[in-house]
Amino acid sequence: MILISAVLATFAAVTLWWTMHAWRTPETLAGTRFTEPDGDHRLTFSLLLPARHEQSVLEHTIQRLLRSTHQGYEIIVIVGHDDPETAAVAHRAAENAPGRVLVVTDHNEVKNKPRALNTALPYVRGDVVGVFDAEDQVHPELLEHVDHAFRSTGADVVQGGVQLINFHSSWFSLHNCLEYFFWFRSRLHLHADKGFIPLGGNTVFVRSDVLRGANGWDGTCLAEDCDLGVRLSSRGARVVVAYEASLVTREETPDTLGSLLKQRTRWNQGFLQVLRKGEWRRLPSFGQRLLARYTLLGPFFQAFSGIAIPIGIAAAIFADLPVGIALATFVPVVPMAANIVFQTVGLRDFGKQYDLKIKPVHYARLILGAFPYALVLSVAALRAVWREYTGRRNWELTAHVGAHINNNAEVGTA
Amino acid sequence: MTTTSEATAGTAVIPKARAGGLEPTLPRRRLPKHDHQPARVRQRELTGGEGLLAAGLTALVLAVLTINITGFPMASDDEGTYLAQAWAVATGKGLAHYTYWYDHPPLAWIQLAALSWIPDVFGVTGPAVTAGRVAMIPVVAACVLLVYLICRRLGMAVWSSSAALLFFGLSPLTVTMYREIYLDSFAVAWMLGALALVLSPRRNLWHYTAAGAATAIAVLSKETMLVTLPAVCVALWQNAARSSTRPWAVGGYTSGLVLVGVFYPLYALLRGELFPGPGHVSLIGAWQFQLANRSGTGSIFTDGSGSHELVESWLFYDPVILVAGLAATVPALFVRRLRPAAVAAVILALVAMRPGGYLPAMYVVQILPFLAIAAAGMLDVAAHRLPARRRWWRPALATVTILLAAVLIGPRWWTGNQRALTAADNAGYTAAAEYLRTSIPDRAGSTVVVDDVLWLDCVEAGFPEQQVIWFYKLDLDPAVAARLPNGWRDVDYLVSTPALRQDPSALPGVRSLLTNSTVEASFGPPDGRIEIRRIDKENP
Repeated sequence: MILISAVLATFAAVTLWWTMHAWRTPETLAGTRFTEPDGDHRLTFSLLLPARHEQSVLEHTIQRLLRSTHQGYEIIVIVGHDDPETAAVAHRAAENAPGRVLVVTDHNEVKNKPRALNTALPYVRGDVVGVFDAEDQVHPELLEHVDHAFRSTGADVVQGGVQLINFHSSWFSLHNCLEYFFWFRSRLHLHADKGFIPLGGNTVFVRSDVLRGANGWDGTCLAEDCDLGVRLSSRGARVVVAYEASLVTREETPDTLGSLLKQRTRWNQGFLQVLRKGEWRRLPSFGQRLLARYTLLGPFFQAFSGIAIPIGIAAAIFADLPVGIALATFVPVVPMAANIVFQTVGLRDFGKQYDLKIKPVHYARLILGAFPYALVLSVAALRAVWREYTGRRNWELTAHVGAHINNNAEVGTA
Repeated sequence: MTTTSEATAGTAVIPKARAGGLEPTLPRRRLPKHDHQPARVRQRELTGGEGLLAAGLTALVLAVLTINITGFPMASDDEGTYLAQAWAVATGKGLAHYTYWYDHPPLAWIQLAALSWIPDVFGVTGPAVTAGRVAMIPVVAACVLLVYLICRRLGMAVWSSSAALLFFGLSPLTVTMYREIYLDSFAVAWMLGALALVLSPRRNLWHYTAAGAATAIAVLSKETMLVTLPAVCVALWQNAARSSTRPWAVGGYTSGLVLVGVFYPLYALLRGELFPGPGHVSLIGAWQFQLANRSGTGSIFTDGSGSHELVESWLFYDPVILVAGLAATVPALFVRRLRPAAVAAVILALVAMRPGGYLPAMYVVQILPFLAIAAAGMLDVAAHRLPARRRWWRPALATVTILLAAVLIGPRWWTGNQRALTAADNAGYTAAAEYLRTSIPDRAGSTVVVDDVLWLDCVEAGFPEQQVIWFYKLDLDPAVAARLPNGWRDVDYLVSTPALRQDPSALPGVRSLLTNSTVEASFGPPDGRIEIRRIDKENP
């Protein structure tokens, strides 16, 4: 019992340690930002925009991408051959912006995001490939900053920030938003520093030659973004992560608990697949391999802790344990509770950075929802294991309703 | 130097996001520059040479502290209590040698138990209490070094930091009080540690978190240390000023403080002893008792009150650190960088001056380091304020200060420390312990009533633990009274010491033992007489 407590406490403490990476010192925090661009536009970008049944949001996304201040970029929209509504939106956009927007049709029988991206790869003309999702809200100045980041750091990959914004929609969306906040604001920087990084699904920019050298994306993987990051960093690619609140790509959380569960199951299953592929074994140092193993198994550790810690506490309270052992079962709660404290600070910071009004009810949701949310994640992790070992590897897509866009419009006009 | 932090507190360095702004002409965003910090303030890391200096000065202090540590001052009942409790922890008997009733949080004597191997290593002999004092030396060493480190981190010069170290470490009051086994020394060490951590020049989040944990440990070592919490908060607030991470620092500190501190009530809760109830002790019940029922020792300004006498005894050992320290504290409140230490000293002083409160004998232990820092800090400030153009001012002032110190402080400290280095105040206890160990027949079958100084000696001499009774428990602990069905007639020996004779009217059981016993052996001077008395069981 004490041993289990010690293991759980160590996991929780290490996770907390990494989660708080960016805020360790003011200097680290300053180092996580984009540096101010010099105004030069030297690189050319090909922005891939896979869209599937997303006719309602696609046009807005393209319009917004077209407002980029950067001079050299093209937008490649990838639509499925069986999806005429989205294709119609895409073609209309291409007619309105000839030379900027290109539509590529994906004829794969089984459709998923990595296959769509691979379909577009031969059409890429730019120096750098950028990936966005059809519902993304991209800041017009982002490309300029990324251009400068590539040139000033000599990076092969630049990962920009992605942020879920609609924290007010439901109790779980609040937690989901904060997860993104901590992941992109802090944790990814640690991964970039250590040379092992599971990339994000969008706002990720890769040099075209590096991407072609790596044979593009893995069409069978459920977490193609993570897989690409692992493969690139295993081959020694230099990854730079930069986060600037005003430049992040805005997204929305899944609209129901069920779709959150599906999405999370897919990611977790993807992580498992990446782990089983074993590309990470090529990482040069033992520490990096350990980090890889730990990161890819992270959701499962989290699931285990989420269940084991409450059981331990229940045992401590209701069973007649010696007081020393009972106290020991509470030790893993310390880093978890500290995590909630930091999340509270994070929520305040999130509100300040994005000009959002955080009300007491949101703090209450944060604190009261922490345990249920951990349970949801645990269920998703168990579901992922179940699906992977029963061989169900199809793509469960999450629907998008555009909640963040409306919200943003309000913020934008305010 | 005394301004700015609060004014800029609200301005986070992170720019507020104005994204979503789709105006055709986007204003060029200005990225904030890195945090501006004056170079002088940032260079607070100690170099190797400085480390040697601090270590050397600490060694000097420790030498004065260690020599004759067993002989002076006279062993006190409190020391015996804490040592016996540490012994109970070290031998796995629980948190105290009697029922633990949440009188103090237990962390200090748990730490003392962890250090209890030290006297054995050095082969210190004599009564358990005086030998046990050797275990306090590392704690004092930590306090002394931390005083130096804090001074440096408060931006003081090497010379003034060294002065603070020596002022604190060589004051006869420190030498006297820090030699004794007091919970306060542990609490002070941890609180100074917390202060040093929140003043960390790197402003690392985990340093702040560790500082929170250290604060909690300090409070769980001696609960009264809680009153200095505002000082650490001031330091935290100041050090995190103008940094983008201040909210995180506060969050880290709070996490450390609360999450470590909560284990004490949690312990009580798990034992079912959090709330008062019939038939068991409780944490909240102990708090209620201490806040409401504990009789005060009067005001320190009233002649003849307990508090007044106590303060006079402190002044007897060293008026210099108390007077100079308090005098420096008031202006130090208005110097931004000295404010944390000054706040701590002011709060502790005000608490001591509150009318009608209870003032424990070891209270002064907590305030001494802060007084030393404030005094040396004001010297540092004075030196900085001198006009730099006139070169001869500084050496002149230094000479005057040193001369003044030599004339005013030197003789007093010389006498005070000489007494500490040579007096043999514990000869009586030593002889009594020796007598108990060797001259009493049938120790395994005898019951003895003692004060807490000699309690552990009796147990180590071979009396069964259950039959060595701390006199105080005879009348106040029903579990102990139940062990003696025939009352005083079940007792074989009484060790009568000044502490035991202090207040006989309050303890009828002790009084009847005193009247129904005859002196078998007597040690020590008349005013501190220690008698081994045999109980006259044949008396009617």
